[in-house]
Amino acid sequence: MTASDAAALPSAPGIPTEGALAGIKVLDLMWVVAGPTATRAMADFGATVIRVESANRIETARGIGPFHDNAQGPDHSGLFGNMNINKLGVSLNLATAEAREVLLDLIAWCDVLAESFSPRAMRAWGMDYESLKALKPDLIMLSTCLFGQEGPLSRVAGFGTMGAAIGGYIALAGNPGEAPIGPYSAYTDYLSPRFALPTILAALDHRDRTGEGLYIDQAQAESSLHFMSAALLDYTINGRVPQLVGNADPDMAPHGCYRAAGDDDWVAIAVRNDADWANLCSAMGRGELTCDDRFADLSARKANEGELNEIVGGWTADHGALELEYMLQAFGVPAHAVSNSGAAAEDPQMRHRGHFVRMEHPVHGGTAFEAAKGQMSETPPSYRSVAPSIGRDNDLVLRDILGYDDERIAQLAIADALT
Amino acid sequence: MLLTPYRVLDLTDQRGMLAGQILADLGADVICVEPPDGSSARSVGPFAGDNPSPDRSLYWWAYARNKRGITCNLDHSDGQALVRQLAATADFVLESDTPGVMNARGLGYADLSAQHEDLIYTSISAFGQTGPKASYEATDLILMAAGGPLILAGGAGQAPVRVSVPQAWFHASGEAASAAMIALYARRSIGRGQHVDISAQQSVAAASMSANLAASIGAAETARVAGGMAVGPFTGKLIWEAADGYISLTFLFGSGIGPFSRRLFEWMYDEGECTQEDRDLDWIGLGAEFISGQRPLSEWDRLLSVVGDFIIKRSRGELFREAQARSLLIVPVTTVDEVADSEQFKARNFWREHEMPAWPEPVRFPGPFVQLSANQLEYRRRAPDLGEHNAEVYAELGLDAADLAQLQERGVI
Repeated sequence: MTASDAAALPSAPGIPTEGALAGIKVLDLMWVVAGPTATRAMADFGATVIRVESANRIETARGIGPFHDNAQGPDHSGLFGNMNINKLGVSLNLATAEAREVLLDLIAWCDVLAESFSPRAMRAWGMDYESLKALKPDLIMLSTCLFGQEGPLSRVAGFGTMGAAIGGYIALAGNPGEAPIGPYSAYTDYLSPRFALPTILAALDHRDRTGEGLYIDQAQAESSLHFMSAALLDYTINGRVPQLVGNADPDMAPHGCYRAAGDDDWVAIAVRNDADWANLCSAMGRGELTCDDRFADLSARKANEGELNEIVGGWTADHGALELEYMLQAFGVPAHAVSNSGAAAEDPQMRHRGHFVRMEHPVHGGTAFEAAKGQMSETPPSYRSVAPSIGRDNDLVLRDILGYDDERIAQLAIADALT
Repeated sequence: MLLTPYRVLDLTDQRGMLAGQILADLGADVICVEPPDGSSARSVGPFAGDNPSPDRSLYWWAYARNKRGITCNLDHSDGQALVRQLAATADFVLESDTPGVMNARGLGYADLSAQHEDLIYTSISAFGQTGPKASYEATDLILMAAGGPLILAGGAGQAPVRVSVPQAWFHASGEAASAAMIALYARRSIGRGQHVDISAQQSVAAASMSANLAASIGAAETARVAGGMAVGPFTGKLIWEAADGYISLTFLFGSGIGPFSRRLFEWMYDEGECTQEDRDLDWIGLGAEFISGQRPLSEWDRLLSVVGDFIIKRSRGELFREAQARSLLIVPVTTVDEVADSEQFKARNFWREHEMPAWPEPVRFPGPFVQLSANQLEYRRRAPDLGEHNAEVYAELGLDAADLAQLQERGVI
C-alpha cells in the first residue's frame, strides 16, 4: 500500500496484543529524534510504549517541520508525528512530587525505561539506575545522551546537530575551500538508535533467560563514530585528515550530483570503473570520449575531473532527472534522481515497499508517516494510532494501566501533576 | 555477554558487515564467510600505510572485529553444501548480495529455512529484494540520492553534497541488526524464524529527519541551507565562523532551545555585546511574536548578525569552555583528527587496541558503542586473517585437516 493511493488507516490508540514484541512495556522519557526513533520501532512491532510529555515544556520536535499544510502548532509537526506513531501519550508535570510518584508507578509497570535527559536530571529525582534497581532488579534502563553519563563533557547539554559537529560529521561534508556544510540537521540522531535498539532487544532476551536487568549508558557521539571507523583509522595509522571534497570520490569519477532540467533538479551519477565510463559515454551519445586520453582510466579521469564534470553536467542539464536515471540505469550506470519529498512519495520503489503510510488524524483529517524499515515475513509491523497529542491517553494510562481510581486522578489534577 | 548463546553466519560483504559487527560486539558468535580469494571488503580503502593489500584494508579491520573468519566458495556446489550445514547450526544468517543471487546458489531463505525453521535470515540490499528498482546499480551516493537525505544537504541553489565517508550501507546494516533482533524476540512467541528484507534506500531515509514527509502532509519542500536548517519561515543557523575555525551553535527560540538562547545573550550582555532589551526578549515565546507579525521577521536576521559578530571574535576553545560553564548549546566543529585526540573519549576509556598481524604498532579502534552495567561489550577478537578459523569451524562439521586440504585443492575453501 502506498500513501497516495491507499485508504487511510483508522487511528485507535490502545494496548497492542499482537506483533513480534507484544507484551513488552516501554516507558519512553525521551524526546526529539535519537531516542524516540528506537522506541517507535518497538511500538511498530507490538510493544506498548508510553511516551511522557508535559505541556509546560513542549517537546522540541513539535516545533520542527515539516508541518501539516505549513501551519505551526503542537500537533502539526510531521517530524513529531513520524517519531511517535503507535505510542501512548501521558502528560506529567515532573516538577511536582505527585507526578514523580506516577512516574515511579510507571517504572514499576515497564520492562524498559528509556530516558534522554541530561545526565543530572534522573539523579536529581533519585531515579538513577542504582536507586531504581533496588526497587526493580530486572529493570532494563537506557540512558542516551550526547556524551554519556560520565566524562569531562558529560554535562554538556546537546542536540543531535551538536553531535554531528563534535562527532566529526559536519567537517566531512562541504565544498573545497568553503565553510563546512555537514549532513542534514541532527545527523548523530539517525545513527545512535541503530546501536541502542539492538542493545535493548539483546538486554530483553538476556533478561528473559537469566532474570537479570541491565543499565545501558549510550553516548550518542561514541556510537556514531562506528559509522566512520575507517576514517579514524586512516588518521591514527596514516595521519590523513579528510578534507572537504564536495562529492568527489577517490575511487570513482565522474562522481557527483549533476544539474538536470528543472528548478532544483539533480541527478546523482557514480562511475565505478572503465566499463561504467564507456556505458555513460554511450548514454551521452559521446562514444568518442572512450578513446580520449584525458579520461582513459580512473587516474586520468581524476586528474581531469573538472573538465569531466563539465562534460557530464553539460549533458544532464538538458534532460529531466528521472529521464536521466532511467536511461543511465538502462545502460548499467549507477544513477538516481536526487529525490525530494515529492519525488520520494511518487518513487515506484518506495511505493512498492509501502514506505509512506496514511492514517486518519483527528486534527488534520489525514496524516502520513514512514513505515517500519525492516520488512519481516512472519511478524509485520502494525500501525494503530497517530502520535499522541499531549496527554491524549492519560485516562487509558492512569485508569486502565495503573489502575488509579477517579479520586486519585482528581488529586493529581488538583496538584497540577497532569499538565 | 548478552548474545553469547547465539550464532550468526555472516555472508555479507562491505554492504552489510556492520550488521554482524553489532551482533558480534554484543557477544554473538559471528562466523564471517569469505570467498577463497578474500572478501571484496578487503579491497575497500583506505589501507594501512596506503598499501592496498588485502590484509591491510582499514575497512576490513574495522568491521570484521569480533568475528571468526572462514573461506568458502559460494559458487561451488560443495561450498554451498558447507554453507547449508553451517546455517543449520546458526540462529542468524546475514547476507548482502544482489537480490536473486543467493536464491540462484540454493542459499536463499526458502532453501536454508526448509530444514531449519528457527533460522532468522536477514537480507540487506540497495532497494529491497523485489520491486521495479530491485536490480538497480547502486553506490553510496546513489542511495543517499534515492532515500532523501542528499537533497537536503548543501548550499541553496548549489549541488547537494554527501558525507565523504560513505554512509548508506551502515544505515542499512544498522536497521538489519535491529530487525534481526526483533525477529529473535518474536521467535519465542511464534516458534519460528523468518526472512527480514532490508532496503538501504528506506534505511537512509531516516537521515532526512522526516523532511521526506513534506509532500505527503501538504508542507513545502525543505529548503537547502548551507550550515543551517529551515525552521518554518526562519533560517536556523547551526554552523558559525569563530576566530579560529567553526563552531556549532543551536540558536533558536521556544521552550526547548529558548532558555539556552537567553543564557547566550546573558553572556553577551555581560561582555557588553548586546543590549539589555535583546537579552530580555521572551526567548520562549519569540517565535509566536514573529509568526503573529507582532515583531518583523527582519528582527530575526538582526539577532543572527548580533550573535555572529560575537562568535567571530572568539576562539573555538573559549566558546566551548564558556558554553560548559554557562550551559550553552555550543560545540566546536571537530575534524577527524580532533575526534581521535579528544579528551572526552580518552576519559571514558572509549578506545580499544588490537595487534594486527600486518601492522607493527597496536591499532586503536572506536570502542564499545554502549557501556553496560554488566556483560560489557568486549573487543575479544581482531578482524580475522583470510581463512584463519577454517580448521576450528569446519571441525564442527567433522572435517579434518586432510579434508580441508582436499577442499582447498578443489577451490571450495
